[in-house]
Amino acid sequence: MTNEAANIPVHPVEPTVLPPAVLENLAARFRPGGLFLVVLRPDGQVAYHDPGAGPFFERYVLPLLQARDAAGVMPRDRVEALMSTTAASPTTAPAVWQLPGVSVAAFPHAEKRQAGGVIALAAKGNTFGLVEDVQRACGQLGLDAQWLFNQADELPAYGDEAIRRQGRLLASTLRDQVRLTGLENELNSLTGQLADTYEELSLIYQVSSGMKINRRASDFFRQACLDVLEVMNVRGMGVTLNVEISNRPEPALYGQMKLPQQKVARLAEELTAMLWEVKGPLLVNELAEDRTFGWLGRHARRLLAVPLQRQEQILGCLFALDKEDGEFDSVDTKLLNSIANESAIYLENAMLFEDVHGLMMGLLHSLTSAVDAKDAYTCGHSERVALVSRHVGQQMGLTDRDVEQVYMAGLLHDVGKIGVPEAVLQKTGKLTVEEFEQMKRHPQIGARILQDIKQMREIIPGVLHHHERYDGRGYPYGLAGEKIPLMGRIICLADCFDAMTSNRTYRKALPLEVALTEIRRCSGTQFDPRLTEVFLMTRPEGFYELLRDHQQKSKKLRELQESLRTKFD
Amino acid sequence: MAQQKTILVADDESHILHVVSLKLRNAGYRVLTANDGQEALELAQQERPHLLITDYHMPQLSGLEVCRRLKQDPSLPHIPVIMLTARGYHLEPQDTEQSGILKMLSKPFSPRQLLATVNDVLEGKSRAEAPDVAGTINPTVKREAV
Repeated sequence: MTNEAANIPVHPVEPTVLPPAVLENLAARFRPGGLFLVVLRPDGQVAYHDPGAGPFFERYVLPLLQARDAAGVMPRDRVEALMSTTAASPTTAPAVWQLPGVSVAAFPHAEKRQAGGVIALAAKGNTFGLVEDVQRACGQLGLDAQWLFNQADELPAYGDEAIRRQGRLLASTLRDQVRLTGLENELNSLTGQLADTYEELSLIYQVSSGMKINRRASDFFRQACLDVLEVMNVRGMGVTLNVEISNRPEPALYGQMKLPQQKVARLAEELTAMLWEVKGPLLVNELAEDRTFGWLGRHARRLLAVPLQRQEQILGCLFALDKEDGEFDSVDTKLLNSIANESAIYLENAMLFEDVHGLMMGLLHSLTSAVDAKDAYTCGHSERVALVSRHVGQQMGLTDRDVEQVYMAGLLHDVGKIGVPEAVLQKTGKLTVEEFEQMKRHPQIGARILQDIKQMREIIPGVLHHHERYDGRGYPYGLAGEKIPLMGRIICLADCFDAMTSNRTYRKALPLEVALTEIRRCSGTQFDPRLTEVFLMTRPEGFYELLRDHQQKSKKLRELQESLRTKFD
Repeated sequence: MAQQKTILVADDESHILHVVSLKLRNAGYRVLTANDGQEALELAQQERPHLLITDYHMPQLSGLEVCRRLKQDPSLPHIPVIMLTARGYHLEPQDTEQSGILKMLSKPFSPRQLLATVNDVLEGKSRAEAPDVAGTINPTVKREAV
């Protein structure tokens, strides 16, 4: 309540802040003093009266207040006259009405600045001694005067000044009550807003903590939509992206509202086009009347869409359909915008990540192809070893991250062959001791090549130890058993498997069964028995086909290389 | 609802008290509030609420200390506790088990989620038996380093 309101000449009591509880409270406070609280409507009718005041008030004072007075004035006129008096503030000077044997202090109150009626305190007056007046009034009301005198006997009598003082007290108490009620309402409303803000904050927190870069984009956006559904109380929450990213979600709508997929797709398409122009939130509160989205009017009434935006680019959009309780407002817009901003950051990061990751993997593949190309008979070998290693890693139950590391180590395991002379690599006959020593250096050369790349350090054990044997008779260090890093043991197995199942200068590819038997035979000597067990149990036939396919492609590539070589030599 | 359940909410930040009380009162619960740990303890002993929702960081007595003392008081029935903590703050599992803490919520929490948890604890039976403490359960699957 502001100061300005307190200066309004009529008492600024709004009916909305005069709930029954306040009136009960006031009535109970004045009742012990023999005072009777009454609220009169502008037409003079009683809107409220103290229900516990007793027969004197209910049967005598109340009818009297609603009857023509001794001077012939109607109650309506009395109330109107009071309400039109703007001369004095009711707190300083309530009006006093004298009715037969009754004193009344009354002041007007306003309902939203419109005259709303009169609040009055009535009591036995000091004119109650004028017996004839009271008897006459009793006659008019059909009351037994003697009964009334008995009823009034114990009640205190108020003169003009005394009742006016009580009226003033009522006015100030009422004003405090009203102010208090107003503050309570305000507190509740602020608390409600605060609760909403908590809800939003926790939503934004939830969405941003789901922004893991390795999370599938479709998972991220589905979860974000479900989270928003929880908080915003809408019937449908959807997403569409128009960027190139793996696991990109199809245009989707979540929540109670069901739309056929082609309509979701149409909505997504039109929204994206629209948002390119608007570059900001789009709010439609009557879809049926909308030029663009009128066709959606059969399914939904209201739409709120916000772009996923980075700089000038629209990456996609989030859209909400039909709020359960009314129109979309600025709070909804703000909330959805925050979620869109968070999501756009996630999306941009995910795209950058994919970009860089794609570039890196591309470079790695060209590097390993270059290595493989040095040795005409190992074409595509590195990629196949990577595939088999990944398969084994997965079967071993490694984490996704570790599986990825194993794959990369497989891809790069022979990178050190760059440092081995081609004459040695391509020699068809048996290697001399010296040549074999040169060949055996390739794991260490590979490790050295990779050691300065921070991101590659974790895969070095795989490269360095892929020629160690489980029985300790391998190279370069002759490590045995569990001393050999797991990554090295996995790649060793994958390397040998691919070597056996590929054509070599000195022999044709072995059939799968023969290769598997060989692996079983070497379990515990060359290979980690735990690994061979897992490997043999997982039926390698499936990806063996894949590898054959890969070999065929590699073969064509090799033929191409050969023909190029003969051309330029 | 057969009988109106009483919930005691303790936090030294009055806005939290307001938000929590409003949400719970609107849902039909009787709500008592305390501004610090000492007041919470006394009110709990006096009023025997069906549930205590308390902040961890409070003047006089910490939320955890309040829970411990309530638990140690043989004259009191078991009072389940939902604890509010700053984000990123974790209690040791033995602390939560020994103090009757069923659930921890990090601020800023979602009032809706809090109400759902309260309904769960007071109306459903499933949750009351199994402590569900976020972030303290680590699957102990042995993995070899690669």
